[in-house]
Amino acid sequence: MEVDQATLSRRRVLGAGAAVVAATAASTVAAPAAQAAQAPANPTATAAVVKKVYMQRVVSYRYNPSTRVTTVTKAVRVSVIARFYGTKVYLKNSRGVWTQIPYVWSSRSKALTFSRYLQLQLTPKPKPPATPAVGTVVTLPPSWASASAYHNTDWTRHLLNRAGYGPTPAELVTVHSMGYVGWLEAQLNPSRVSDTACDAVLARLPAQSASIWRVKHALDTGLNAWDQYNSVLQDFTVRALMSKRQLLTVMEDFWGNHFNVTIYSDGTAESRAHYAYTIRSRAFGKFTDLLTAISKHPAMLTYLNNRESTAVAPNENQGRELLELHTVGVETAYGEAGVLNSARMLTGLGVDSDSGEYAYQPWNHWTGAVKVLGFSHANASDTGGEAVVNAYLSYLSHHPATATRLARKLATRFVSDTPSAALIALMAKTYLAFDTAIAPMLRVMFSSAEFAHSVGGKVARPYEHLLSTARRMGITPALDNFNAPMQLIYMADDAGHNPFGQPFPTGQPDTADHWESTAATLFRWNNTWNVVNNYPSDVVRPLLLNVVVGPTLPATHGALVDVIATNLFGHTLAADHKTAVLAFLGVTADKVVSSSSAAVSYGLQSLVAVLLDSPYATLR
Amino acid sequence: MTETTTRPDRACCAEAERASNVTRRSLLKAVGLGTVAIAAGPMVGMRAAFGAVDAGWSGDTVVVLSLRGGFDGLSAVAPIGDPDYALNRPTIGVPSGSAFQLDSMFGMHPALNALQSLWTSNKLAFVHAAGMASPNRSHFAAMDEMERAAPGSSARSGWLDRTLALHTVGGPFSAVQMGSSSLPESLAGPYPVLGMDSISGFNLKGAGSTQAGRDRWRNALNALHVQAPAGLHDSAAGTLGALDTAAGLGTYTPGNGASYPNVGVGNALKNAAQLIKAQVGVRVLTIDLGDWDMHANLGTVGNGWMRDNLTELGGALKAFATDLGPLLDSTTLVTISEFGRRVAENESGGVDHGWGNVMMVLSGHVVQGVHGTWPTLAPTKLTQGDLTATTDYRAVLADILVNRTGASVAQVAEVFPGYTGASSLPGVTTA
Repeated sequence: MEVDQATLSRRRVLGAGAAVVAATAASTVAAPAAQAAQAPANPTATAAVVKKVYMQRVVSYRYNPSTRVTTVTKAVRVSVIARFYGTKVYLKNSRGVWTQIPYVWSSRSKALTFSRYLQLQLTPKPKPPATPAVGTVVTLPPSWASASAYHNTDWTRHLLNRAGYGPTPAELVTVHSMGYVGWLEAQLNPSRVSDTACDAVLARLPAQSASIWRVKHALDTGLNAWDQYNSVLQDFTVRALMSKRQLLTVMEDFWGNHFNVTIYSDGTAESRAHYAYTIRSRAFGKFTDLLTAISKHPAMLTYLNNRESTAVAPNENQGRELLELHTVGVETAYGEAGVLNSARMLTGLGVDSDSGEYAYQPWNHWTGAVKVLGFSHANASDTGGEAVVNAYLSYLSHHPATATRLARKLATRFVSDTPSAALIALMAKTYLAFDTAIAPMLRVMFSSAEFAHSVGGKVARPYEHLLSTARRMGITPALDNFNAPMQLIYMADDAGHNPFGQPFPTGQPDTADHWESTAATLFRWNNTWNVVNNYPSDVVRPLLLNVVVGPTLPATHGALVDVIATNLFGHTLAADHKTAVLAFLGVTADKVVSSSSAAVSYGLQSLVAVLLDSPYATLR
Repeated sequence: MTETTTRPDRACCAEAERASNVTRRSLLKAVGLGTVAIAAGPMVGMRAAFGAVDAGWSGDTVVVLSLRGGFDGLSAVAPIGDPDYALNRPTIGVPSGSAFQLDSMFGMHPALNALQSLWTSNKLAFVHAAGMASPNRSHFAAMDEMERAAPGSSARSGWLDRTLALHTVGGPFSAVQMGSSSLPESLAGPYPVLGMDSISGFNLKGAGSTQAGRDRWRNALNALHVQAPAGLHDSAAGTLGALDTAAGLGTYTPGNGASYPNVGVGNALKNAAQLIKAQVGVRVLTIDLGDWDMHANLGTVGNGWMRDNLTELGGALKAFATDLGPLLDSTTLVTISEFGRRVAENESGGVDHGWGNVMMVLSGHVVQGVHGTWPTLAPTKLTQGDLTATTDYRAVLADILVNRTGASVAQVAEVFPGYTGASSLPGVTTA
């Protein structure tokens, strides 16, 4: 075996098709001299030549992409039948077809010599699609429209109202500077969004990602269970209030209610924080992964009794809700036999009572053939039960009924209480095309005209309205205690909307009709009054006048109402609403404002509260 | 700003129609509220919507008093005639000599002596050894199961919500949780519920306590909601009306010389009586009373935790009945608790979680007596040390639903899915 070294100059390699090289072609890249006829100076003018020649078949090489120089460090000299056409060299491939190879004739080596640069040129490049595939990226909707008498078409506020817990002055600047697509794409990749201020506050709470066994041990040795449960609500509320990853927090609420494990449920103290963390870390990924993680999570296995389910006495609770609530929905005809088989498959998914961690317990697994909808399995062995469940969960998550149901629920959350069939179908199709990935579904939704035309068309639920008020007021938790997030939770709870407090596995309802009660309305109004004034008590609170008016007092009360409305809602009030607010203040529009005017001193809280009680803030 | 709320790309369905261009008047008609005076234009106080009669409900006001924590029915209504009672409760038991004798078996705890006159005047009945069909000794799980009251069904609502759903929707006071704003699971579901700490606390904070303040806020909120979607508009109108109604109730002096103990249950029942007497359309009212989880130091018949709690409970119930006067004829109060207590006292002088329990029914139409089948406390008759429940608690509630709210047997089946006992009621109340 002969080892040779050859260095091809950039100029030589570039010779292919380059006019400047043509002059030297005879000495550098010409066909072998052994051929009677010399290769002509102009390669394109010549006919092909087939000849047996030596080839320095490359074994290893170095390549400098900036100089485009290939340095062969090891090669084997072999004899080949090559076809020459100008500077191009061909060998027959396995099917007998002449195929260009990344070799050039070296008159110095009297052999074909490898060129990495040429190889790169010959390697077929993937063709970029003509247009980006639907769901791979958010695209800007073509137009905007308001669905409310109280809203204009400000897309920055629309985004923060739907993909977040409401606008703040700082977030409005961020969204505007990043642009519609830029902000949403960042939100869909939350790890890329820096969240240091929020993280610093969260660091004062018990670690929400702590292992279940660690929390259980702490509970067994003195940690208060209520404090542990409350930390989940506090963590969530701090993020709703402060996090730059607003969409993630909204999605945590969405999935947390889709897979509701009512907070304070018996036996879930050690696992509830980890449960929320599990949801949070899978909120945009594949639903199959989320569903699998949830179905095997001790919090769910406890809440829906699967940890007590055995082969002898299957508990149907989780097996039923898996179908009815988590995936295909009750309108799908799986029947009671489907429920039983679903429950049988889930037997064995249990909780280790010592550690509190998930454990597959084969001795509890029911064996025998199972069938639910189009899924069937021999399910023959006790040790194989977990694999059967994995396949079953994958089947359910890929079921068209699941796709449609998730699409409808997401569109209801983000777009409208009555999303169109077309949008649901598009989202469901995208979900299935992307192997149950959640983010693409959200991308097509945020790209839709329907989303862009729904400004102001949703009613804020009590928790959402409360948090949007707190965000507008710019309050953040006190530096020395964590009372404020819990106070916010209790305020929302009074209005019937603890975000994870729905006493049934269904989760909190998402549509306005469920929240149209006297109690919800009065508590919403009183909560607004509290937040604008002095409660939650333990907060860092900017001066209200600075938040809603700014450093300069407007000249008249009419201008004052305009300025406050614009700061709160991005635009002035409709004329009749402005008239009503001036009447509320007991002044005329041209009444001069001074620093002692009620509307900018002791009456400012009332003015702000009545505006935030109105549909300008309640519709979102 | 645009005022467009109709979108042609929507699928045509009832919900879409509701969200788009249906008028408020037609909407209200559609849900049976045609007679309620909320319409486009100036809002009127809800008070005008109520006559003395609530058109959608002809039954009693049903008051459900939940004794949270696991009430010890064996202390309140002690089976002093059962030879095993004293054996199981040597220190905390009610001695036969100190009890108010109800019948040959049962004696009422002397701390409940305030209730004696209600008993003798046929306003009070008990059901003993009542409970869920099978024991559940976890507080939360038992409360969930008892208040959802739909084992084996996938109903996502409480039994009172389903009771209310049998009728057209009433006014804002038709379902009230009094004493705290957090709602019991029995009321969970679509029916709108008003939770309040007290009537005086039911106000709009910014408006203050003056009529001028309320007028100022009402006018502004009215005007600001004119263009709102129907649901948002109507809930604002209803709330403003209810606030006027509550403000109009004013300060309250209980009737007939009734004197409520100044404790949680006393104040809640006083507020309940005020609402009932004001005839603002209360159909169902719930009150929570906790502090019954007496694992240790329950006390003795004459002293301690149980004696104190029963004294407050008895005094509050007596005041409630006295205050209502003739309106007790159209009011039925029932107590419920997630479980009873273990028959045998423990070494800490308390009792652990058990099963069978007593339920109290206070009404103008009860059949005086201690109803139910007494399984006895003989060791072989106990269930894991607990009083065996021989009367399904749903039978007692069904008795009230049928006799006092006019529900049919079929409607009881809607309230309690899967329960088939309504065809033979225990006869605690009369029609």
